[in-house]
Amino acid sequence: MIESIFIIIAPIIGGLLYGFERVVRARMQNRQGPPLLQPFYDMFKLIDKQAFIVNPYHTILGVMHFITLWIVVAFIIMGQNLLYVIFLHLLSSIFLILAGFSVKSVYSHIGSNRELLAALAYEPILIMMAVGFFMVNGSFDIAVIREHGASIVSLFLLFLAYLMVIPIKLKKSPFDATEAHQEIVGGVEIEFSGIFFEFLYMAKWLEYIFVYLLLMLFAGDNILLGIGLFIGVFLLVNLVDNATARIKMKHLITIVLGLGLTLGICNLIGLAYV
Amino acid sequence: MFDLKKYRKKSPWILHYNAGSCNGCDIEILASLSPKYDLERFGVINTGNPKQSDIFLVTGPVTYRSRERLVELYTQMPEPKVVIAVGSCTCTGGVFRDMYNVEDGIDRYIPVDVYIAGCAASPELIIDGIVKALEILEQKSKEMEKPHKLFREATSEGGIVNRRHSALKVGEIDEEN
Repeated sequence: MIESIFIIIAPIIGGLLYGFERVVRARMQNRQGPPLLQPFYDMFKLIDKQAFIVNPYHTILGVMHFITLWIVVAFIIMGQNLLYVIFLHLLSSIFLILAGFSVKSVYSHIGSNRELLAALAYEPILIMMAVGFFMVNGSFDIAVIREHGASIVSLFLLFLAYLMVIPIKLKKSPFDATEAHQEIVGGVEIEFSGIFFEFLYMAKWLEYIFVYLLLMLFAGDNILLGIGLFIGVFLLVNLVDNATARIKMKHLITIVLGLGLTLGICNLIGLAYV
Repeated sequence: MFDLKKYRKKSPWILHYNAGSCNGCDIEILASLSPKYDLERFGVINTGNPKQSDIFLVTGPVTYRSRERLVELYTQMPEPKVVIAVGSCTCTGGVFRDMYNVEDGIDRYIPVDVYIAGCAASPELIIDGIVKALEILEQKSKEMEKPHKLFREATSEGGIVNRRHSALKVGEIDEEN
């Protein structure tokens, strides 16, 4: 019962988190920042605005992206298989990439290319994370992982690798070359407008929920540690976002794939032999 | 149900276009988004994407190279939209008025709602202009909902119904009501 309520209000929690994050980021820059409910104001405005449809598949794929992400979040909350969650999340990214390729805009194509390359960089780390959880807890089921104790000590290197995935998924600098505002004008989201852009906007909120729920798996059944991890990583990600500049796509892949893959493999080998 | 229209005012996303400006006004626009003046407290985001923005901030006298893009960007913005001309050059042509490669101001090509004077326009003026534009945006969204009467009552002179002058000009209906 509680689970289904959480699933239904997941986008609302994500929106509050996004609004809170905008305030925190503004305060870090010594600004006042927008009101806490700003994402919802944006959402209501987007519902009400005129919408341009480039082609039907483009808009449908954008909506599919949102729905699939919601299902992913629902599966995490219900405690389903972690591998299944990761691959379904990949499917939602693929919907967005296809939407980007379905229009003629050059920026949209560049955005889709970069989205694909980013998926290439972070997907192995997510899969290795799932393997790591399997080796520690003996099961891919999120419900089982949540019942065991905190696995952050034995999966510490994978945790560090996952820290590099978070800015890519949340479109934060230094790893925000996939979206790159003003450079490629949002990449895949360039041709969406009005209510159809709102689905992408809400998908961004769900991405927050997805990322931080996966992060809390490292804490296992220790809820206090989970909340501590969430707050710490939330502040760290925003601090890094404020303090660094955007890096090139090539360097993103080199850093995330090179460093993250090495850390992950070291951790898995260590788990297997120690 | 609750009213969605009031939220239009609370989240204006701006599109900034440089139509041949000297970058003076562009720097001031960026300054008004930066920590000291902080336009984001009104919910403003500098989107850079015409399809998702509400306010069109233009700087610079329109050069021949930029005028097609100016009109293109304007037509790509969904309704309701507000145009702000930032700086003297954009309003009238400024020091470039009557030069061989320049159109005098953007209102030759697109309708302008707010004019911001100054060379370069100061951030305080830009903030005032955007707040003014929010009022106009709200007014425009209200007007979009109104049923429009396109013709006034036909007049008859000596039994002959005359419809020649019955077409209404834009905005004329508001003066009558």
